[in-house]
Amino acid sequence: MHLIVGETDLFLSKDRNAQTQISLTATAPAVPALSHRASVPATPMETPDPKPHGSKIPSGWTLVKAPSLGTFYRAPKPGAPMFTEIGAQVAADSELCLIEVMKLFTTLRAGTHGTIREIYAKDGELVEFDQPLFLIEPDA
Amino acid sequence: MPDTAPSNGRLFVANRGEIALRTIRAAQALGMEVVLGVSAADRDGLGARTANRCVVLGPAQARDSYLNAGLIVHAAVSTGCTALHPGYGFLSERAELAELCAQEGITFVGPTPESIRQVGDKISARAMARAANVPMTSGTDAVEDVAHALKLAEEIGYPVITKASAGGGGRGMVVARNAEELAGAFDQAVMTAREAFGDGTLFIERYVEVARHIEVQVIGDGKGGVVHFGERDCSIQRRYQKMIEEAPAAILSPAVRKRLHEAAVRLLASINYRNAGTVEFLYDTTTEEFFFMEVNARIQVEHPVSEAITGADLVQAQLKLATGAVKGFAQKDVHTAGHAIEARIIAEDPDRDFIPCPGRITRWSPPSGEGIRVDTAVETGTLIPPYYDSMIAKLIVHGNTRVEAIDRLAAALDDFVVEGIATNIPLLKLIVAHEDFRSNTINTRWLETVLLPAFRVQQGR
Repeated sequence: MHLIVGETDLFLSKDRNAQTQISLTATAPAVPALSHRASVPATPMETPDPKPHGSKIPSGWTLVKAPSLGTFYRAPKPGAPMFTEIGAQVAADSELCLIEVMKLFTTLRAGTHGTIREIYAKDGELVEFDQPLFLIEPDA
Repeated sequence: MPDTAPSNGRLFVANRGEIALRTIRAAQALGMEVVLGVSAADRDGLGARTANRCVVLGPAQARDSYLNAGLIVHAAVSTGCTALHPGYGFLSERAELAELCAQEGITFVGPTPESIRQVGDKISARAMARAANVPMTSGTDAVEDVAHALKLAEEIGYPVITKASAGGGGRGMVVARNAEELAGAFDQAVMTAREAFGDGTLFIERYVEVARHIEVQVIGDGKGGVVHFGERDCSIQRRYQKMIEEAPAAILSPAVRKRLHEAAVRLLASINYRNAGTVEFLYDTTTEEFFFMEVNARIQVEHPVSEAITGADLVQAQLKLATGAVKGFAQKDVHTAGHAIEARIIAEDPDRDFIPCPGRITRWSPPSGEGIRVDTAVETGTLIPPYYDSMIAKLIVHGNTRVEAIDRLAAALDDFVVEGIATNIPLLKLIVAHEDFRSNTINTRWLETVLLPAFRVQQGR
């Protein structure tokens, strides 16, 4: 099922085979192999700083944040071109990334015209609710 | 953070408030690392600061954070967790969460999904109790409509109580003393149950007029071995919500207590129950009979009173069992000593019909000392958000005798200072000072029928 509600796209499937079309989980790097757990000594866990690094955000620029916790993907599938890059022009309906929660993918759109100035999260990493993902400088 | 969990495992805590903090500390004491999943409202709380890592699941609304099983399991997998503790409330008794954990290779610290379903449906739980020869009030299976209800109630004999098959907490429960009352209330009860649980199925039981709520704490090993940790008396309730709990239930004779424990163990052994659970009974003071009510397939709010009299750490026991650190427990190792009482500190204003009182706590000074324990996740400066249950702390006291425990509780309540929000502490003080509480002659309707009218008079209304 493919739902578009406002600025959100939802792909829903209970069919595991459907992953081949819409899912990236097969190669998702953020999911550690279960068999590798519990055998190696602990490595200290660090809570990543969810705030954007560097200086303050210029007024009028748009910060696109994660709508929920999930795995952040910059391309529609493994090996495909990225949705966007720093310096790229985007329109309001431009796709920026996918956020995956248990094989359910939400497309995040720019919501504004402008230029991508920052991409804060890495492809395949876990992002948290409200975490800044993209910084967009609007067209003058 | 894809990295490798330590040898003792990494626990995901899928809850908030005092039980999240309690579970974090229990797990860390066992050498586990803990990841806490929070809503945006709880990102700066004591739990978030105590866990080894905290992830923000979603916005404050529980629907989009603490009640979203997919989000929680995704967070647990992505942070390399090996086990998940659901606490109480929220998703703790949803088989779906236990199932998702199993699919993803995460150990669910609780019963199997099958057990959760079996005891969660009250009609199937009654069938289970019947098969295990556990006493029940005379009652019915699913009731089809008003006419069916009237026919069955005639057979059982009035007064009767309607109950929702899909859940508890008082919703869908109506006491009827005659056919007219039952006919008048039935459809509304169906609607209430449907709204609360998505399922309007009701059944009917004989209503016990003067009852105590007595429950037995157990832990099962999943292979038919079940050990009990004594019983609790939780008869001080308002609208089926407990306010004060005690262990042991001082009203029971040793013979009845033994039969009660045996019934609870027999019931959960019959389904090879795994991990912590509670079997709730109604106790008829006049006839000294007890009747099965329901099974709570999780750790309960009031578990600390059982810990106080047994010396056990039930949350650590849950974790040890789930992670395979122990295979089970032995009844001969469980001993009880003294008397314990828990009072729930709730951010509600008893002067204004118990309206919830969220807000900023400007001063938090809980009591401390010998035999006093306070379980909480709040501190001075904490903002109590309006989105969740309003219980903010549990005050647990332990003494050699019930009298000593009551005196200790009274003194501890006098020392408990909370400023910035209203709480039920003034009401708790009145309960503890009341002759009926001291003489242990209360019942499940006492708070509403005896104490609250007196409280309103005292408050000048």
